[in-house]
Amino acid sequence: MNYLPLFPVYVVDFIGALLMVIFSLIAFKYAKRLTELQPKSVLWTYMFWFCMALVALAVSRGVGHSVRFVLLYFGYPHIWKSIAPISGGLNTITFTSVAVLTFYYSNVRAVIERVRSDADALYHANIQLQKAQEALKKLNQNLEQMVEERTRELRESEKKFRGLFEGSKDLIFFCNGDHIIEDINPSGVELLGFEKKEDIIGRPFKDFFKDEEHWKDLNEEVNKKGHATDFETKLVRKDGSIIYVILTISVMRDEFGRVKGCEGIGKDITKMKQVTESLIQSEKMASVGQLAAGVAHEINTPLGIILGYAQLLEEDFEDNKDAYESLKIIEKQANICKRIVADLLKFSRSSSDDITTELDINECINDVLAVTEHSLNMDRIYVNKNLSRDIPHIKGSKEKLRQVIINILNNAHHAIGNEGIIGIWTEYDKEKDEIKVIIGDTGEGIPPEIQHKIFDPFFTTKSVGKGTGLGLSVSFGIIKDHGGYIEAQSPPKEKRFVDAGMETVMIIHLPVNRENDEKRNDS
Amino acid sequence: MAKKLQKILLLGLFFIIFSQNDALAVQVHGPPEGFLVHIMGHVFFTAALIFLIYILHKYPIDNFKAWKYFKISIFFWLIWNLDTFMVHILSVRLPQKAIVKGPHLVYLKLVGPFDFERLLYYFGKFDHFLCVPAMVCLAISLKHFCKKVEKDMDSIGSDVGSF
Repeated sequence: MNYLPLFPVYVVDFIGALLMVIFSLIAFKYAKRLTELQPKSVLWTYMFWFCMALVALAVSRGVGHSVRFVLLYFGYPHIWKSIAPISGGLNTITFTSVAVLTFYYSNVRAVIERVRSDADALYHANIQLQKAQEALKKLNQNLEQMVEERTRELRESEKKFRGLFEGSKDLIFFCNGDHIIEDINPSGVELLGFEKKEDIIGRPFKDFFKDEEHWKDLNEEVNKKGHATDFETKLVRKDGSIIYVILTISVMRDEFGRVKGCEGIGKDITKMKQVTESLIQSEKMASVGQLAAGVAHEINTPLGIILGYAQLLEEDFEDNKDAYESLKIIEKQANICKRIVADLLKFSRSSSDDITTELDINECINDVLAVTEHSLNMDRIYVNKNLSRDIPHIKGSKEKLRQVIINILNNAHHAIGNEGIIGIWTEYDKEKDEIKVIIGDTGEGIPPEIQHKIFDPFFTTKSVGKGTGLGLSVSFGIIKDHGGYIEAQSPPKEKRFVDAGMETVMIIHLPVNRENDEKRNDS
Repeated sequence: MAKKLQKILLLGLFFIIFSQNDALAVQVHGPPEGFLVHIMGHVFFTAALIFLIYILHKYPIDNFKAWKYFKISIFFWLIWNLDTFMVHILSVRLPQKAIVKGPHLVYLKLVGPFDFERLLYYFGKFDHFLCVPAMVCLAISLKHFCKKVEKDMDSIGSDVGSF
């Protein structure tokens, strides 16, 4: 075979060209559909123009090849020769267009990819920002809620502690680093005898200490340990009176551990102190009473014998004047001793046998004054009586109570010396159901250092031979037998007595209904 | 790499254009110019297709059916382009007496001796066996793209992906 027919080539060209046109149109249809579905897609735009160019290529080529086939088939090659360059030129334009589109698309795609990448980054950043904003918002809300909750807790805590601070019956105070009082509770203000806390705030805490040594000791302890516990001291009130307190103090520090002040609590133990002292006094009295009773009992018998023999000897020596005088002195001194012994026995013996008689205390006072007023007036001492008419009767021993009043009046007389006033008040305290007999004098007053000794047996300020020191001790015992007690105030606590010029007042408390009182004491 | 390739191609084109001796501002173009432009068009098209294949290779897209057909289509277009380029060159080299014309198209024949070049020319003339499958694959690819986009738009309206 030395040739190959070209007819099959032209047939394939003809059919292929037709198929190319058909399939390019189908492809174009889908590309167009895609651009309609997603008009913003660069890919579909590229596909659209890619297909468009290929359709043009297919049509140009298809038509060209078909026309060539027909013209050549029907013997018009010269016509085809003139058309052929146009067909070829169109073909060149079409696939050049496809090439340009491809290069162009690649660049656009890269740009779009970059823009999309930036947009994605921006989108993600935006999402992150939104998340952060939401988290921040949530945190903010939580924070607000937390702050609100914490504020409420703080308010409640503040209320609680404020209540404790304001309502406490103890002294609570705060000082700064220079020991200047910065705040104090109402009880503290009252305890120190002030009316408002502004009068105390700004004053050094040291000023309220009675003993400077105590202040130094306290300061040293607080500086050393950071706190002081149960430190007992005396504070001076506004009016100058003394109160006993137990202080507990702690140092306050700031967040850097530096001392910024101190806080403290003080408990008023004045009353407790008085009660304790009274108890000690009672115990002392009881001990002394027992001792005195023993001594009195032992002395009483030989004293009786001395007195008896002295009287017998007096009869034998009536003619001997010197001996008789001496025996009379012995008898007199023995009688004095006997009276002392009798007093001691009265002090020590607690007997209620004869203290059941119903009596009027005013009557007792008047009885005593009837006897003693004359001698008082001799020394220009006048008695100012303020006896209440509305006082109930009490049960007791008229004689013993008279003795108590005489003893106290004697002491007042001694304290005044010459020229003065003795005030006597009687009154009924309904609340306590007791009668108070107050005997005051305008004398020199009792020095503070001996005030706690005045009820001790044999304690006296009188010169030797003028007093035995048993008057107040015996009185103490008698009043105690009546269920009451004696209180000495020098100077007097109540203003009315001070205004009346009294320097010392002795207050006798006597219960009206002793049985109730005893029951109350028992319970 | 893509930019470098583009630059080389543009430089080549520039060289081809300006290396013509008679190239003046306004001139009458002789007969070989049309052929040369056509050949250059094929070169340009080939380069674009190679570039596209390179892009598809560099930025691989999901193994979605539409993309598979698209790649096959591009491959066929490339083969077709090389085939037509080759046939154009061979037709120039073919002696005039190699094609015997008759009174009718049916009698047109390619005469021997049939060496490799002449056989290559003859079978290369059946280029529609390459371009028709290329166009079919492109149509199928676009059809799948359409279906996918319609389906996605019905559900979430997302994109198919891009390259």
